[in-house]
Amino acid sequence: MSIITNKETRVVIQGGPAGVNAAKRMAEFCHLSQIPFNLCAFVFPPSAGKTNEIPFGSTLVSVPIFKTVKEATKEFPEINTSLIYIAPNRALAGTMEALGDPNIQLISMITEGLPEKDAKKLRIEAEKLGKVFNGPSSIGIISAGESRLGVVGGSYDNLMLCKLHRQGSFGVITKSGGLSNEIMWICSQFADGITTAIGIGGDTYPGSDFVTYLEKFEKDPQTKVVVMVGEMGGDLEEKAAAWYAEKERRIKLIAVVSGYCQEELPKGMKFGHAGAKEGLHGEGSARSKAEALTKAGAIVPDTFGGLGPVIKAAYDDILAQGGLPLIPEEDIATRQLPKTIEEAIKDGDVFAEPLLKSSICDDRGEEPLYSGYAASELIDKGYEIPHVIGLLWDKRLVTPVEAEIIKRIVILSADHGPCVSGALVTIIAACAGISMAQAVAAGMIMIGPRFGGAVTGAGQWFSYAVKNKMSVDDFLSHMKKNVGPVPGIGHRVKSLRNPDKRVKALISYVKSTGIPTPHLDFALSVEERTTAKKDTLILNVDGTMAAILVDLGFPIDALNGFFILSRTIGLIGHWIDQKREESRLVRLFRYLANYTSTKRREVPPLD
Amino acid sequence: MAKVLEGPGMRLLSKWGMAVPHYVVITDATQLDNLAQANPWLRESKLVVKAHEAIGGRMKLGLVKVGLDLAEAQVAAFEMLGKEVSDVKISQVIISEMVAHDEEYYVAVKSTRDGAELLLASMGGIEVEANWEKVQKLEIPLGVDPKLSEVEALAKSAGFNDDLLPKVAEFSVKLFQCYDQEDGNYLEINPLVIKASTGELTALDAVTMVDGDARFRHPDWNFNFASEFGRPYSDNEKAILDIDTRVKGSVKFIEIPGGDTALLPAGGGASVYYSDAVLALGGTLANYSEYSGDPPDWAVEALTEKVCSLKGIKRIIVGGAIANFTNVKKTFSGIINGFRKAKSDGKLEGVSIWVRRGGPFEKEGLAAMKVLENEGFDIHVYDRYTPLTDIVDYAIKGGVQ
Repeated sequence: MSIITNKETRVVIQGGPAGVNAAKRMAEFCHLSQIPFNLCAFVFPPSAGKTNEIPFGSTLVSVPIFKTVKEATKEFPEINTSLIYIAPNRALAGTMEALGDPNIQLISMITEGLPEKDAKKLRIEAEKLGKVFNGPSSIGIISAGESRLGVVGGSYDNLMLCKLHRQGSFGVITKSGGLSNEIMWICSQFADGITTAIGIGGDTYPGSDFVTYLEKFEKDPQTKVVVMVGEMGGDLEEKAAAWYAEKERRIKLIAVVSGYCQEELPKGMKFGHAGAKEGLHGEGSARSKAEALTKAGAIVPDTFGGLGPVIKAAYDDILAQGGLPLIPEEDIATRQLPKTIEEAIKDGDVFAEPLLKSSICDDRGEEPLYSGYAASELIDKGYEIPHVIGLLWDKRLVTPVEAEIIKRIVILSADHGPCVSGALVTIIAACAGISMAQAVAAGMIMIGPRFGGAVTGAGQWFSYAVKNKMSVDDFLSHMKKNVGPVPGIGHRVKSLRNPDKRVKALISYVKSTGIPTPHLDFALSVEERTTAKKDTLILNVDGTMAAILVDLGFPIDALNGFFILSRTIGLIGHWIDQKREESRLVRLFRYLANYTSTKRREVPPLD
Repeated sequence: MAKVLEGPGMRLLSKWGMAVPHYVVITDATQLDNLAQANPWLRESKLVVKAHEAIGGRMKLGLVKVGLDLAEAQVAAFEMLGKEVSDVKISQVIISEMVAHDEEYYVAVKSTRDGAELLLASMGGIEVEANWEKVQKLEIPLGVDPKLSEVEALAKSAGFNDDLLPKVAEFSVKLFQCYDQEDGNYLEINPLVIKASTGELTALDAVTMVDGDARFRHPDWNFNFASEFGRPYSDNEKAILDIDTRVKGSVKFIEIPGGDTALLPAGGGASVYYSDAVLALGGTLANYSEYSGDPPDWAVEALTEKVCSLKGIKRIIVGGAIANFTNVKKTFSGIINGFRKAKSDGKLEGVSIWVRRGGPFEKEGLAAMKVLENEGFDIHVYDRYTPLTDIVDYAIKGGVQ
């Protein structure tokens, strides 16, 4: 048994994200208690018509969101309880809506900072209708094993530690949310746990007070003892004392009061709760409350620390009187929340076969590691882009000489004017209003056997020749027989007499470094032979880059990357340039197209 | 409940049709020159000059001067402005006319559980407290306007007669309207007087407390709330108040100079039990603080820095119950950062720290806190198995660990 809320409770939550969070906690409790999820609907006008997905065990429950309480209770007539998670400026109207709904009998409000006048209005309205209005500022209500309204009870571990999956013998009423949890914990450590725990909220004029719930606990045979936690201010504890003293009560009352400090603190100081104020030595002070409660026959420990022993003594008393069978403890360890895949892997419970492999960059820590080196550390220690290329393309830190060569390659291939196919396409796209990523990608699509894409091919064949110790003659005949033109050899405009200055400069720098260059040397011997046949069959920039990069040890598959990377700088530049210059749409002049299609003729009838 | 200073308080009364003395609030004594040109009463009446700050016992502190002419008032204002009184700099002065009057009366409206209570007495000033049993009271249920006939009957039983009776009743109804429409908690006019020059009932002095939570529906409340404990907020307190208004959850900080035990507890309820425990064991409080409602870690860090800066403290109590939804790991990371910063600034010398907490991510939070043991902090960390306030016993009595 329990009070106020039980297995029959069906809930609508009014409000947004905080309400969704509460719903998740409530679902966890239902999982622990092995009962159906008691939430039917949300009311949150901005998201009306959608659903919120709430994890329940290993499934997801879709909970519909309505615009009004009326719509929610029409769809779910079993709803009898509303939780208010609405901001203070709209909470009055929202709660009035719930109060006005004939199906809803209990309303608990978590909203903090509700104006006092609104709280009074709601309490008076609820009284008129014979409904229970709990809060404002209430952490919630929980009936062990039966129903959880709100986040009261805290994390899942705490629910288990406090044995909230099953009924004990102690009722709990507190103003403070944190302390409600603490009392549940004490009751489970020193006694058999709770029946129902209610946070009434710390406001000056709570909708329901200690007496409201003491009366209900008195009528609940399962509840043997009620623990009440108050604070100074107001007269709620005095009223509770008067109720307790009025006649012989079945329940034992344990009460603890705070605020003795007020006697020594500056007068008028505000404490954490709005209701904690006033009173010094007179009415409303901690001392007068404690006295009233003691006089009424309640057990009042001097300090909060005294609660544990007092609760234990009360429990031992009940046991001694034979009034209570010991609750056999079930094994609830199996009711842990299902683990997420990550948790299960971490705990070694499952093996998940990875879908892909990454051997260059690990982003699972604070920052990405490039082949094990933290990006920020590389920057701090003065490394540059060529080193990053080395780490991500070839998983190694390149030497200073190699870095310099890579830098020069990037610089000399960065752009080649607007007329080459890549830049032209990017420019046409930019003029058509295409955005940067797409326009640059269009330009890159042009990179292939006839434009910039010969680097990998050249590297592959120079490498093949050197590896097989081929002579230039053998190589050329092999190529002629099996492949075709040698990639990296030949240029449309440049020739022996009109050499490519970029190539000359790069070769002379590489030579000056003294590094071994078998592939470059081989490529130059090939050039010597081919130019003897035809002036334009020079070693072009692709071939030169390829030979050098193979000499540096870069894998063949990486070679085109140097051109793609470098030319991307140029393509981006062309796109920005067109934007900046506000270029108009480019359309080819008709005289630049040679129309060779069939003259107009009659279309034959279909059939 | 939020206190409104005299200036804005007078404006609220005046808004609801109650006569108040002429007044001006100034921040610089020279402003009086121009104000006197525009307001003849400043030249023609005897004046009262008061520090316009939430300082208790202003009379005794010499922060109220009466019966002055304009030149004297200007001197008084000049002397008061910028003066430091118990660590607080006076930044505003209110100058009002002295209202010549004979009798004094008392009227107040107080919020009650079911509505409000109208209090009326045909005496004023300190006479009221001395004769509290003579104060007449009328319960006014929420949502009901008091009937003029009822208020007249109240006035009659309070001893008002003849012409005065309907005037007092009418004034009382206005005061109730002001209370009701402005989300009042407590409005008290003492004394209420008849201004000799006009024959009009005038609120000579007033206590104005409104419901700060209702600010959202009063766009014309262009004033800040004043502190209620007899002194204005210090800069440190203001800094935390400012954070409190901006963040989810809450952080609170009030300094109590001279205390030996600083509090950094979680939760509005638990914080008071911790305060009680400190005093019960003979400690003295250096502050009242709490954080709750899962505030962001940086807000808790700022609060921690203020707590660590309290002068003369011997120990800090980082207590808390078992949280419902406040993330212990995150809020503790704010506290830990605050402690580390304080230590590197040379604070926390000879200060012991006592921690007890439970709630979401308690293991991680407590483990992170325990790391400070190895960083030269005198810190003692306990979990949920140590009862809530036992750390205060350990901290003050020493011994058990």
